[in-house]
Amino acid sequence: MAIIEVTHMKKSFGSLNVLKDVSFEIQKNEVIAVIGPSGSGKSTMLRSLVHLEEINGGSIKVQDQYLVKDGVYSSSPQIKAITSRMGMVFQHFNLFPHLTVQENLGLAPKHVKKQNKEEVRANGAALLQKVGLSDKADVYPGNLSGGQKQRVAIARALMMNPDIMLFDEPTSALDPELTGEVLAVIKQLAEEHMTMVIVTHEMSFAKEVADRIIFMDHGQVVEAGTPDQIFNQPKMERTREFLNRAAR
Amino acid sequence: MSMDYIVQIGKPMLEGAQTTILLFLISILASIPLGFVFTLMVRSAIKPLAWLANAYIYVFRGTPLLLQLLFFCFGLPVLPVIGEYLVLDRFVAACLAFVLNYAAYFAEIFRGGLLAIDKGQYEASKVLGLNRWQTTTKVILPQMFRVALPAVSNESITLVKDTALLYAVAVPELLHFAYTAVNRDFTIMPFVIAGVIYLLMTLVLTLLFKYLERRFKYE
Repeated sequence: MAIIEVTHMKKSFGSLNVLKDVSFEIQKNEVIAVIGPSGSGKSTMLRSLVHLEEINGGSIKVQDQYLVKDGVYSSSPQIKAITSRMGMVFQHFNLFPHLTVQENLGLAPKHVKKQNKEEVRANGAALLQKVGLSDKADVYPGNLSGGQKQRVAIARALMMNPDIMLFDEPTSALDPELTGEVLAVIKQLAEEHMTMVIVTHEMSFAKEVADRIIFMDHGQVVEAGTPDQIFNQPKMERTREFLNRAAR
Repeated sequence: MSMDYIVQIGKPMLEGAQTTILLFLISILASIPLGFVFTLMVRSAIKPLAWLANAYIYVFRGTPLLLQLLFFCFGLPVLPVIGEYLVLDRFVAACLAFVLNYAAYFAEIFRGGLLAIDKGQYEASKVLGLNRWQTTTKVILPQMFRVALPAVSNESITLVKDTALLYAVAVPELLHFAYTAVNRDFTIMPFVIAGVIYLLMTLVLTLLFKYLERRFKYE
């Protein structure tokens, strides 16, 4: 059963059509990598799934509930309920600079989920251990490297216990030698069968970790399939062109 | 110059300094929250509120504080018909002018602080499920105050010195007593003492804000 169903999604900024009729499905426990050139609409598509962008037409259905149906959004409590099932990791981390790592992790569980202090602390400690940053609990984000910041951001999203994790170019703002530590954490989540949608420029990572690849260009899904299909026998000329250029 | 003389003129000057400090405290404690209210009004989706706040800021930043002070102390009472009901205590009228003037500056300082906050902070808050109020109080305001701190520090030191404008509306304060002593005793010493007292006041503020900046460094 599809956990996310997107049909005929359209989005424009003024006269610029960023998404032109995008449709796809994501199954539970599936890891999807979304690839494509800059400006192809990948990020906008991802951001639309958590209502950071409002689409102008089409439908988004998450866990059998409509976030938006034929361009009409659900009520705002419903939107909140649906998007609360998804965690998001941003290219620029977006950690709260005035809070320590531990406080970054605890803010939403404490105020949104009304969890008690002990629960928040225990969950936080467990997730920090998972991302290998147990020793950084009381450090401010300003004193972390990019890779460490992104691992904290992943832990922060996981604190809300999401069913689906969305990654918007999680390694694009990192120095090359720091991408590995972040990709390792995402890979670990994949092994635990977390449902994930990852917008990425890391082709080898996409190939290795994804169950399915979606290739987007000019606001459309050009081709979707297993990594083997997309990377080794792409059907579309445009896909081949992009992969050849990306490989160089 | 004898120590006795310094003690003798120092006493009324320190009493004058009490007025200075009182005006400072009233002005800063009232104008910071009021300024923040204007910041919110400027950003409000309700357009007339935003226009009102912008007009207010334009008028109070765009005219001299001395003019505003004279306006509230001596201008209001000569208004036709309603003037006789607007005869305020001179010190109260002066406080009003200071609070309204400084609120306009603080509104602009806080607006700058809000502009400095990356939109990613709002997005992360939204995705984590924080509501508007939680986002504002837990994420945005703490960062805004941190960004605004150096400018607030600067402004508060300016405020200490601006209290000397009370001289123009004949409310006895530090400078008034110093000038009286200079004229009476024909010595420059009272001005020097006044200067030292102002420096002490600004020193306290400087140290306080240095501490706050360190305390909220987030490193």
